[in-house]
Amino acid sequence: MKKLLLILLFPVFAMAKIQVATTTTDLAALVKEVGQNQVEVFSIAKGTQDPHQVEAKPSFMIKLRDSDLVIAQGLELESAWITPLMQGSRNAKLAAKNGLLEIAELLEPIEIPKGNVSRAEGDVHPGGNPHFQLDPIRLGKAAVIIAQRFGEIDPTQKTFFETNAKAFQKKMDDKTKDWQARIKKAGVKEIVTYHKTFSYFCDRFQLQCDVHLEPKPGIPPTASHLISVIDQMKKRNIHLVLIENLYEDSVGQKLKQQIPTVSVNRVPVSVEGEPSLTTNEQLIERLVKAIEEGK
Amino acid sequence: MNLRLFSVFLLTSAMGLNTFALTAPNMSANTLFLYRNSNFHKEDVNVTTPDQEPNGFDLQEAELQFYADVDPYTRLNVLLAVAQSYVTDNTTVSQEWGIEPEEVFAESNALPATTLKIGKFKAFMGKHNTLHSHAYSFIGAPLANTTLLGDEGLNDAGISAAVLLPSSWFSEFTVQYLRGKGENEQFNSPTPGAGVGLIHWKNLVDLSDDLTVELGASYANGQNSFRKITTLSGADLTFKWRPSDGGRYNSLMWATEYLSRTQNKEAVTAEKGTGLASWIQYQFAERWAALVRYDNLEVKDSFDPTNLLNDKTERNSLALVYSPSEFSSYKFEYNQKHGGETNSDNENTEKSVFLQANFTIGAHPSHTY
Repeated sequence: MKKLLLILLFPVFAMAKIQVATTTTDLAALVKEVGQNQVEVFSIAKGTQDPHQVEAKPSFMIKLRDSDLVIAQGLELESAWITPLMQGSRNAKLAAKNGLLEIAELLEPIEIPKGNVSRAEGDVHPGGNPHFQLDPIRLGKAAVIIAQRFGEIDPTQKTFFETNAKAFQKKMDDKTKDWQARIKKAGVKEIVTYHKTFSYFCDRFQLQCDVHLEPKPGIPPTASHLISVIDQMKKRNIHLVLIENLYEDSVGQKLKQQIPTVSVNRVPVSVEGEPSLTTNEQLIERLVKAIEEGK
Repeated sequence: MNLRLFSVFLLTSAMGLNTFALTAPNMSANTLFLYRNSNFHKEDVNVTTPDQEPNGFDLQEAELQFYADVDPYTRLNVLLAVAQSYVTDNTTVSQEWGIEPEEVFAESNALPATTLKIGKFKAFMGKHNTLHSHAYSFIGAPLANTTLLGDEGLNDAGISAAVLLPSSWFSEFTVQYLRGKGENEQFNSPTPGAGVGLIHWKNLVDLSDDLTVELGASYANGQNSFRKITTLSGADLTFKWRPSDGGRYNSLMWATEYLSRTQNKEAVTAEKGTGLASWIQYQFAERWAALVRYDNLEVKDSFDPTNLLNDKTERNSLALVYSPSEFSSYKFEYNQKHGGETNSDNENTEKSVFLQANFTIGAHPSHTY
């Protein structure tokens, strides 16, 4: 009788998928690459939402109630809302030590502030910049980290997850060479962005992007700061502005009025930031094209 | 606890942290500065009725909060309010500052689907009663809350269990038992062990990715100072809209709350108080929001008609909020209240203007949605 029960129940256990919640659509896309048909994933933030400012809706607690794991970018990007959501879900698995996987701190973060960190500098992240999702090499490493955690949750699928992650990492490595060559060919050396969302992207593709429309992270543009931006763009001959589509583009139009030759492009910075973007690769391809077209 | 004692407490705490290298709890401070001008208030507090707030500029309240995990099973939240009160000897009035434990409670999710809480906390009697002053949409709480639940709301020591029901939408059922003493006169029974039972049912449904509706119902029952029963009942309905595309710049909230209190006393008609508040908050730019509110209070068969008039009071409020960041805001508010008490010139309509500055430093936990 016991044997019969085991035989009947085995397929049920074997087919149990890992339930994953991610804070962003970029992480959800990564989870799909690694877990494929062995995971079910949902993202709390939409691709058009600023992950700094997601509201902790109780309906997310219901979705987290049955999750095996929460994956976050980390470095305090989601700290204002992910903790109350996880606590509100009353899910013992998430309350355990390994219930939350924060990725960015494991990927050699950049822009770690030196000295005392103060809110006088705006929305500063003491552990470094959390927006690694536009760096294809770090995305590959993140896939491997996720595969390791999935393997701990379901050891029977460990090899499957690791194989998928390695394949994704190799694809990203290969694509990076192609993207680097295309950006180099486009001749773009510097870009202006709204927020420090592009820091990892610029670092990877040898672009200089130290001019931002925000005077300080999280602080909306002021008239005096825009004058300073326009001045720097003219002096340094910067012709391309990429505005993350989380922000309105009225500032970009003001820049265009002052420098008619400038190319202002409102771009997605997350998977599903535009309806057609369903993978991390498509997102970076979209940004590389924006640079090629805006040169 | 006075300020000197509190300083010693902070100092010894800090020494303890250094000595034993323990992880410091998350700490934050919030301050509310308020300018008030009302035809019902004067620059000087009345010596015979000092329980009022004078016109002019003042520190309305400061709040100090500490929270951290105690161990893998429990979290502790300590919230101290620094506020002033007026003390009179019938010839002079003096202003005294004190530190009070506004909320001090331990929480645990040790039981499946349940949040257990023990300590002193704001009871789940309606939605507004659980808010701290700096999270109010308007300067003051709705008339029904301040009159029927008390100036500080229904806030008492007790235990609480909030269970997440196994439904496809957010549905939470909360049971609380309060000791029925302290600041809440409606439950201040002289009978030993006479506590207050309270239940709250909260439901929240996503109508779309951008729009949610929340519906809550509350009921509380306990013995009053006349050894008879006081009952409270309430309902709240909140719509929130924030588009996932462009939500940084526009959002809307419409909240409505109803409260009712019935107090019984031997050989007289039960006293009945009811109140409704409805307000809309519209964020029209990244840093700006406009608010409008209507609220009322109606009392019948008051046990103390001198201090709690048998009358209907209505209030209309308008406010404009400017928030340079999520840690600071400035609020301009105009209120017009008609009915209820009169001022020294026998005027029945109160007109008041407020300007409030709200600042937060440190690691402050996010407010409930």
